Parts: sequence; structure tokens; C-alpha cells
Amino acid sequence: MTLETEVQSLRKVPMFREVDPARLKLLAFTSERVHFADGQRFFDRGDAADAAYLILDGEAAVTLDGPQGPIRLALLGANALVGEMGILADQPRSATVTAVVPTTALRIDRRVFLELLSQFPQIAIAVMRELAHRLEMTNQQLAQVRTG
Amino acid sequence: MSSGADTAERTSGVTPAAGRDPAGGRGARARPAGQDPATAAASRPGNDPEAADASGGLDRSLFRYIWRHSKRDQILICGVVLASLPLYFASLDLPRRIVNEAIQGHAFEKGNETAKFLVLRLQMPDWFGHDIALFPGFDVDRFELLFGLSSMFLLLVLINGAFKYWINVAKGALGERMLRRLRFQLFSLIMRFSPESLRQTKASEVATIIRDEVEPIGGFIGDAYILPAFLGTQAATAMTFILLQNVWLGLLAAGVVGIQFVVIPRLRRELLRLGRQRQLASRRLAGRVGEVVDGIAAVHSNGAEAWERAEIGHRLGGLFDLRLRIYQRKFMVKFLNNLLAQMTPFLFYCIGGYFALKGQLSIGQLVAVIAAYRDLPPPLKELIDWDQQRLDVQVKYEQVLQQFLPERLIGLDAPGRDESLCGRLAAEGLGVQEPHGPVLANVSLSLPLPALIGIVSDGGPAASTFAEVLARLAVPTSGRLTLDDRDLAEWSGAALTRRIAYAGVDPILFPGSLRDNIVYGLNRRPPDAALVTDAKALAEARRTGNPVAPFPADWIDYEQAGVTDAAALDALILDWLTRIGMGEEVYRFGLLGQVDPERHPELAARLIEARIAFRERLAAQGRAHLVEPFDPARYNRQATVAENLLFGVPTTTALTGRALAEHAVVRLVLDRTGLADELVTMGERIAATMLEIFQGLPSGHPLFEQFSFLSADELPEYEAILARRTATEASAARHGGGTLDRVRRRWIGLGRYGSADATRLIALPLAYIEPRHRLGLIDDAFRGRLVEARAQLRAALDEAGMGGVDFYDPDRVCAAAPLRDNLLFGRINQSVADAVETVTATGTALVQEMQLAPAITRVGLDHQVGPEGRFLSSVQRAVVSLVRALIRRPDLLVLDGALSPMGETRARTVLGLLLERFGRENSLVVVLPNDRLADRFQLVLRAAGTQIHGPESQEPETPATPAASPGEMRAGAGAAAPAAALSGRAGDETGSVRVEQDVKA
Repeated sequence: MTLETEVQSLRKVPMFREVDPARLKLLAFTSERVHFADGQRFFDRGDAADAAYLILDGEAAVTLDGPQGPIRLALLGANALVGEMGILADQPRSATVTAVVPTTALRIDRRVFLELLSQFPQIAIAVMRELAHRLEMTNQQLAQVRTG
Repeated sequence: MSSGADTAERTSGVTPAAGRDPAGGRGARARPAGQDPATAAASRPGNDPEAADASGGLDRSLFRYIWRHSKRDQILICGVVLASLPLYFASLDLPRRIVNEAIQGHAFEKGNETAKFLVLRLQMPDWFGHDIALFPGFDVDRFELLFGLSSMFLLLVLINGAFKYWINVAKGALGERMLRRLRFQLFSLIMRFSPESLRQTKASEVATIIRDEVEPIGGFIGDAYILPAFLGTQAATAMTFILLQNVWLGLLAAGVVGIQFVVIPRLRRELLRLGRQRQLASRRLAGRVGEVVDGIAAVHSNGAEAWERAEIGHRLGGLFDLRLRIYQRKFMVKFLNNLLAQMTPFLFYCIGGYFALKGQLSIGQLVAVIAAYRDLPPPLKELIDWDQQRLDVQVKYEQVLQQFLPERLIGLDAPGRDESLCGRLAAEGLGVQEPHGPVLANVSLSLPLPALIGIVSDGGPAASTFAEVLARLAVPTSGRLTLDDRDLAEWSGAALTRRIAYAGVDPILFPGSLRDNIVYGLNRRPPDAALVTDAKALAEARRTGNPVAPFPADWIDYEQAGVTDAAALDALILDWLTRIGMGEEVYRFGLLGQVDPERHPELAARLIEARIAFRERLAAQGRAHLVEPFDPARYNRQATVAENLLFGVPTTTALTGRALAEHAVVRLVLDRTGLADELVTMGERIAATMLEIFQGLPSGHPLFEQFSFLSADELPEYEAILARRTATEASAARHGGGTLDRVRRRWIGLGRYGSADATRLIALPLAYIEPRHRLGLIDDAFRGRLVEARAQLRAALDEAGMGGVDFYDPDRVCAAAPLRDNLLFGRINQSVADAVETVTATGTALVQEMQLAPAITRVGLDHQVGPEGRFLSSVQRAVVSLVRALIRRPDLLVLDGALSPMGETRARTVLGLLLERFGRENSLVVVLPNDRLADRFQLVLRAAGTQIHGPESQEPETPATPAASPGEMRAGAGAAAPAAALSGRAGDETGSVRVEQDVKA
């Protein structure tokens, strides 16, 4: 697996779909590829948010600790981006993420990511678009809950 | 000739003994009355007489100084010069005889078939009487006479040359010896500068004096007496010879010489004045540059670069102006001098020829006179130069002397008491006067020692100054300190400095290791001179009044630290460092430090053991994949291409980083194994990728520094390299690409790349690690070839005998690699999440189990602190300075702001520790900025204006429990800046007062 395949994965992330390949290559180059063993944590709830992860291969579970053990919120597969909200909002992790099979991920460092945002408006706009899109979705869901 | 020289060296090997000089120098005069310098020097235990001599002063007159220290050598060399003169005279006379007797045949005039050769007689002028015959001589014919006389001339030339050689070498040695002595004396005098004169002194100016300004003095010393003696007699001989041949010609030459001697020096006086100005100006320039460098941070933060540049530019302009005026004058004088010198031959040819035509002078005589005259101007010119140099150097010497006037020095250390500082310490009417007014006035108090004493500052300078007086850093201008009614001045200075230690707010660290800095105060036991193995060096040191104690050597006074050897001392230092809370940091220094197997054989052996245990442990934990070990037969995927190629740590810069690509041996191996082409291709791809992805980032962007193979400045350069490649390739394609053609193109320099371009490209992949950079450049075939090249490179480097690489060896410690790498002996697999943390934890546990931590921490003591300790944090500097004072086990420890950099909490802990250790056999004096911690001390003094009140006696709270009492907790949370609680220098007001003082000073 080389930089090129990582760039392909990044392109599949909605947030980065519109971004120049050269910029995505820079993002991939400045990120680290890391392997997690089965059951190894990406991060725990409450940890400082220092990086976002793009899952390249494998699966990871998003969980919250409940009174009867962890509650699984979601299962993430290849090309899923996780932890990006934490690094944008500069808030501690809101949930725990654990690899459920041997997993390879691209670790995007927070500082580098913010550096790229400030340097390339194109990436910043892509991120804003994605966030606005999510907000819109949330609003719609909220409206449905209210009316429903 | 040379054996004669040796004897001379030996016989003149005795220098005037120290203190034997009746004048005793001005240093002796500065000594307290009633001390005879000679006895003082002799009775001081463990002190070299040379040291006393060195600290003796400098004579006011340079010539007296030279004569005092080198008269034997001077006389000896003068003697040799005089001895050489008869032969010199003979070599002048020979040409006349060759022409007159042999060539013109005067010796055979009366029909003689033969003539006498080698008749030894003293040829005397007629008015003196008869010649004295020594040897009747051989009978020779005309040709034999010619060849005989010519050979004799050649022999004399050789002998004269040999004399000249010996004299020059002896003179050079003499000058260098005197220069060594002078420099050493000046340095010794700097050690004795009084605090006031130190305040006025610029370090860089003094350094310039010792380095540059005395240099010409040294050069001159060798010539001071000998040159005038040598050249003077030489000139006089030549002149006498001319006079003997023809009085008129002689008088003519003498007249011209007289004019030269009178006129030229007058013209040169202005030159001297300018020279003096230039010396001062260039010394100030050095001082100014030193100031700017020292204060470069302030220059940058105030944006004063332009101003400073203009200032220096102005000074350089001034210097240029001075130099130009000197040149104009100098070359004008030279012109006049040459003119006068050329005048004489003109007169000789003209008038001498007249006499010869008239028959009053033989042609042989004329030739000899002209030959003699040819030898006259050079000595004369040199004599005049010497005179010029004499004036010049004397001026320089006086300028240097100005900096070392006796009033700027403190007295020599005299022997005195050496008793422990226990008893009643009393200040009697103590006063300290500074230029802007009194700091302490009429302070009288008494302190029973040993004790724990706090001096509470009122924000003014009084408390600190009193502490400095106690630490003997400030000299009271009135009153005295007594111990049990005995004046402390009766103690010897050496004893007091050993018994008193001081740590202030600005720790002074020297470049060297942590250990060097901590034991600095123990370097007081000069090893025996008998240990010096180099007898010649020892003799030279004696001759020049330099110290004879061996250096570098172990100067450490272990007894004072209370230990027996270096290992115990290290343990003691580490104990203190750990207690003060720097143990962890020194351990980390140790991990990054280097293990020299020769200095730490035991640790080296255990490291190999630990290295194996480390691997086994990781394997047992199922974590073997976290570290990829160094294996001579395998490519390490987690290491760079360069690391894999060298398989060791470079010890020269020629093999470090990108320089590797230019190294001849490396390139040879790369070319031979065909790797060079592959690396060029890799370099191309890296350069192209970097150009693609980093294009558009502003230069200097942090991402460049962190990630790019290229710096921003290099982007255009590599762009050009790639463009050249495309161009040549296109041209190759147009012209067809047969093998022959390719070879031809390469031959004529039209290969794909010029060799410079190729080197630039090869440099890039050297730092490449496939799992990290993921450009997909490395395959198994490449790895295999690189491992082959690794072995070849090692063989080639060994063959070249250049060294430069400390190779990895599983059974040996790699001395050039950090200790940590030796333990790990591999590279951590960065692509496994949390690998570094996991491996570090395993390693730390292993180190604990194997009890390696103390030995590793000991290696940490070798950590270099950098110039002025700049590689350390301010807290670390403060700790080093404090441990330096503690390790000496002083009777009296004075702290003034020494703990402030450590921060409130830690300073409080350290103070608790000190209060626990001191008070029973030795005393502790701490300057406190406020009352908060005063109740921890047995005696409290309070500064008020220029007064010190007290002591107030009190029962200290049990010092054994440094935990904060509720009162202190409140105080700690109080309004005042927390870190100032122990900071001695009591916050901002004191700071500003001190700044004012400095400005006024």
C-alpha cells in the first residue's frame, strides 16, 4: 500500500471529495499509517483529541461505557473518518473507538490538519461544506422528532 | 653547529627564580605590608614558585622586563653573534683576494711560480704594527690558488649560513618563551582584577589584548637586544672595511647612513601616533562585537540590527581611515629610504671609479668596497626597522600595561589561618560604599556559628550585599568581620574560598559536562609535577614561569567532598541531584548519552546483556514485531537507506546526512554495485513528489521543516535538475539511443545527469524509510543489493583506513550511538500504534530490574551543558550551581536567589532539605525576599535601608518536615508572585535597583 492508495481512500471521504489530488497527497504524506491489533484502542472517551483517523482497512467500533458494559454506537469500515469533530472543536473525545479486527488507519495529526486548513482555503471550504451538510441533517432529524 | 646549539639551550635553561628579583614587581607591592614576597611564596604550601612569579607584576619598561626574564639567553645569543663576526669579515675580504691575487695574478707578480695559500695571520692595518703569522701556508700555483680561495669563500658562506640559522631559531624560541610568559602573567593578573575593575572590563577586549596585542611584542622580544647587536656590528664591520679600503668612500657612506638615521625616525613618529590610535580603535571594535554577540537576543527583540550594523560600519570606516593614513605615511617613508639607499652606489660608482682610474684605488678594492656596501644597506634598513618596531612595541606594551595597573588588582593571597568557621562571627562597623552611595553603613552584629540564618531583604540591595560580604565576593570599604575576635583577614584567602561557598541568582557554567561543572569547586589539588611525563614540556613551563602541575589531569580534591574516589564522588553528586529533583532528567541525559566501553567497561558489558534480555522480553510478550533489530545480513525496514548502507553511526561529518552522497568511497561502492543509478531514480521520484505536493506552501512553513525531503529553498534547484533531465532525454530520443551513443553521450558529459545533479539526487533517498514515507520506492531486490553494498562499503572503508563509522555489532557496544539505541539495538516499528510507548515501558521496566539506572544516570553526568550552560534549562542551571556549592561541604553556604529559578514548591522542598543538612557543623545563610519563610531559620537578620538588624533568635519549626504548615499554605496562595517567595532578589524593585547600579557603574 502506498501513498497513492491512501489518496484514493481519502477521495472517498465526503469531506475531501472536492479537494485537489496534490493536496490530498500532502495530507496523506504528512499523516502516519498505523496498525491496530484486534481489540487495541484508537482512543478512549475523555482523551485529548490529538488526531483524526481514516480507516484504510479493517473495522473499528465506536462505544460508550454504560452501566452494563460498553454500548456500541457504530461500526466503522474502510474509508470511514473518525475523530475529526474532536480535532476541529478542540474537545476531549466523546466516545471510545476500538479496532475489532486487525485494522490499518491513517493517523491525521491535529496540528498538521489545522495547518493545512489555514494554508489551503480549498480544504477549509470542503470541511465547512461537510459540517454545514451535517448540521442541515441534524436540523432535519430534529424537525422530524418534533413533528413526529 | 647543532650540538653547540643544544648545549647552549641547556646551559641557559635556568630562569631567574621567582621572587628573587629585588624589585618584586608591582604585584608584590600590592601585598599586605610586612609580607616578604620570597618567604610568602616559599611558605605557601602546595604553591609553585612559578605562580608567585607569574602573579608578580610587569615592569614599566619593556626592555627591563625582557632583560629581567631573558638576560642569559640574550647574552648567549649575542655571544654567538660576536663569534660569527670574524668569519663574516673574512668572507668580505675574500672577493678582493680572489680578484687581486688569483685572477689578476698579483701573488705571482715577481715571477713566482707558486704562492702561499692558507697563510693564517691576523691582518692588521699598518699603523697597528706587524701581522701575526699563525700558519705558514701551502705552496700552490695560480689555478690552485683560485680554486682554493673560491672554495674557502663557499665554506665561509656555509658557516655564516649555519650561524644565521642557529641565531634565528634561538631568537624565535626566546621570543615565544617570553610571549608565553607574558600571556600567562597577564592571565594571572586578570584573576586578580578587583570587583570594581572587573565591572569596567569588557571580556572581549581583554581577550584581544592577550591574544592579539601581545603577539608583536613577543615577536619583537627575540630581537630586542640581539638584532641591534647583530646588525649593528655587521654594519659597523662593513663600514670599517670600507673605511680601511678608502677613507673618502667610507666617509661618504657614513654620511648617507647618518642622514638615514636622523631623518627617517623623525618621519616615522607620526606613524606611531596613528598606530596607537589604531590599536585602541581595533580593541574597541573587538569589545563592541563581543557586546553585540553577547546581547544578540536583545538586538533581535528590539529590532536594532540596522542600528548596530551602522555603528559597526562607522567604526570600520574609522579604522579604514586610520589604516589609509598609516599606509600613505609608511610608503612615503619607504620611498625616501630607498632613494637614500640607492644614492650611495651611485656615488660609489662615480667617485670610486674616479679614484680607480686615477690609480688611487685598486680595482679589487673597488669591487670589495662595492660588495661590502651591498651588505651595508640591508642591516641598516633592518636597524631602522628595528628602531621603529621598538617604539611601536613599547607603545603597545604601555597600552597593555594600562589595563593591568596595580590599582586595578587585589592583593596576592597570603598564607594565614585555616580553621573551621565556627564560633562567634561578628561584623564591626561594616560599610560598603558604591559609586552612587553607601549600600551598607556601620553594620555591627554578631552571629554564633554554626547556625541557620535568614536575611530578610527590604527590597533594597543591603541584604544581598551583606551576603556577598559574608561570601567574600564584595569587599567592605570600612569595618571588618571577625570570628571569635580574630579578623577574618588573618585567614588565608585559599582557606576561606574552600570553606565558604556561594550560589547566586545567575549560575555561571562553563562549557563541559555536567560533572565538570559540578566538581569545578573541587579542582583545587594540583597533581604532583612529578607525574608529568614530558620532561621537555616541564622544563619549558619552568623556564617561562608557567604552572608545572600536569594538565589535563585529575585535580579533584576528593577529601574535601568526603569521598575516596571518582566513583564515590559520582554517587554523591547523583544523590544530591536526585534529592534536588534532577535525577530523572540526568537519567534521560544518560539514555541519550554515549557509552565509551573503555571508560564504562562494566556498563558496556551489561548493556549487551540487557540488549539480549530486551529482545527476549519483547518476544515473550508477543511484541517482537514492535522492534526491528539491527542484523548485519538484513535490511532494516524501519531505518533510513543511509543507516542501512552504513550499518553504523558516522563519526565524521563527511559520512553524515547528505554528505554521504559526496563521499568518494561511498560513491565508488554505489557505482560498483549499480545502486547509484537506482538511487538517482529514487531521488527523481522523491523530488518530483515533493515538488508536486509542497508546491504552493510558503517557504519557511513548519510543514517543510517537519516532513519535506527538500527545504523550500531547494525546490527551484531540484525543479531545474528535473527539467535538465527532461531536456537531455528529449535530445537523446531525437538522436536515437544506441548503446554506443549512450556511452558516447555519457563520456562527453551529456548523460542523463551531470555528476553534480546525480549527487544532489542521490542525497534525497538517503533519508527514505519505506513504511514511513510510503512512496513505494523500495523492493526486495533493492534491499538485497543494499545489504551487499553494506558489506562492500565496510570493506572499502576499512581498506581506505579512514575510519569514520562506528559499525553496529550485536556483541559490542556502539560507542557513537546513544545509550538508548544500544539497549534497543534496532528501530521501533513506527507503523504499529503506540509502539514507542509500549517499548519504552518495557525498556524502563527492564532497566529497573537489571538495576542499570544508576550506571545510566552516571553516563548522564557526561551530558554537555554548552556555552554558559545554554543546553540546560534555567532550573537545571540553578541545580548544577547549587550542587557545585554543596559538594564542597563548605563551613558556610551563602544562597542569594539560587533557588528562585526552581519555582515556589520545589524551592521550598530544596530549602527544607538544606535546613535539614546544615546548622550542626556548618552554617547556611539565605537571603529571603520576605518574611514568609523566615520562621524556618534559627536566626533572622533584617535589612532596612543601609542597616542590617538582628539577629532575632527563634526556635525554628522542625526543619525535618518540609511539608508546608497551614500558614505557609496561605502564604503560598497569597497575592505576591509565588516564585518570588524564595527568590532572594526580592521581586521587581530589587531588580530595578540593581539595574540602576549597573548602569551607573
